[in-house]
Amino acid sequence: MTLMILMAIICLLGGLFFFATATIGLLRFPDFFTRLHATGKGDTLAVFLSLLGLAFYEGFSLTGLKIVIIAVFMFIAQPTATHAISRAGMRSGLTPWMKEKKEQ
Amino acid sequence: MNCFFTVVGLCLCIFVFCALYRAIFGPGVFNRVAAISAIGTKTLVLLLIFGLLYERVDMFIDISMVYALLNFIGCVAAAKYLESQGGIE
Amino acid sequence: MIVQSEDIIIRTIARILIPFIQIFALYVIMHGHYSPGGGFQGGVILGASMVLLFLTHGYEESKARMTEKVALLLSSVGVLIYAGIGMLCLILLGNYLDYSRLATILNVDAAHARSLGILGVEIGVGFAVMAVMFSIFFDISTGGFSPEDKDNGV
Repeated sequence: MTLMILMAIICLLGGLFFFATATIGLLRFPDFFTRLHATGKGDTLAVFLSLLGLAFYEGFSLTGLKIVIIAVFMFIAQPTATHAISRAGMRSGLTPWMKEKKEQ
Repeated sequence: MNCFFTVVGLCLCIFVFCALYRAIFGPGVFNRVAAISAIGTKTLVLLLIFGLLYERVDMFIDISMVYALLNFIGCVAAAKYLESQGGIE
Repeated sequence: MIVQSEDIIIRTIARILIPFIQIFALYVIMHGHYSPGGGFQGGVILGASMVLLFLTHGYEESKARMTEKVALLLSSVGVLIYAGIGMLCLILLGNYLDYSRLATILNVDAAHARSLGILGVEIGVGFAVMAVMFSIFFDISTGGFSPEDKDNGV
């Protein structure tokens, strides 16, 4: 097993792990803004690692370079979309979730 | 190597269905927009894995790039509309 | 009336990304014969880049780039290119849209002439689709009232 295929398997497994944690966060967090934390950061890193792993598998060819271009574009565009939707949520009046104070 | 890609693809499909639960039952429209953006991100990686399984990656790369573009533009447009109109429960 | 987004992050990122989106759209138009793409798909991506420009920068700053009059003109130019190539083949003693007759004026053989003819009609289709997508977005979002009208629907 060559070095490139080994790095491809490691990057793909890392991407799959971050996808899993991002999806569990999307399901279990109590509020909209906390769910945006999970899907904005976790999904971006997961896509970057997965596409990097696929580019390692393809090698130094035209298709590998195109996959790296897609990965860079997702790294720039996904946090911007998350920022836009969270700003829209703030402007239209959603209140963040606060932990209830325990009455003594 | 094909077996590994198949397992990764199946796991991504399960994650898409988990995000679909939030898209259906999310209270309010903002949760649904966030879930659709997450589904689009997972679809993009799933398309490339399909390309590798069928050994024709050249065809699927352009399609996945276009889908990434349209996901971004759709999310920005939905955010701008909802900012002025507010969310409906 | 489309107002400008007052957030600086979205405006800056859109300003960086829009030229690359347009270059990718031109790539999709040019490589339609080999990979998935062609005239209609490239035109849709060009129209989407114009929609992104108008969403993030508002009407005042974007009307230097694209107005509704230019969009109407471009859609007609696209159809003119498509029909014009067909008429050119008819004038050169062939059938309508028979690209092999273009070989007489371009000094290439028949196979190259067909390839260039298809590229020409794809470019025409791209122009028309971009202009129509932009027109639909503009008409729906402003409700038909353009600030350039003399009487504003009064």
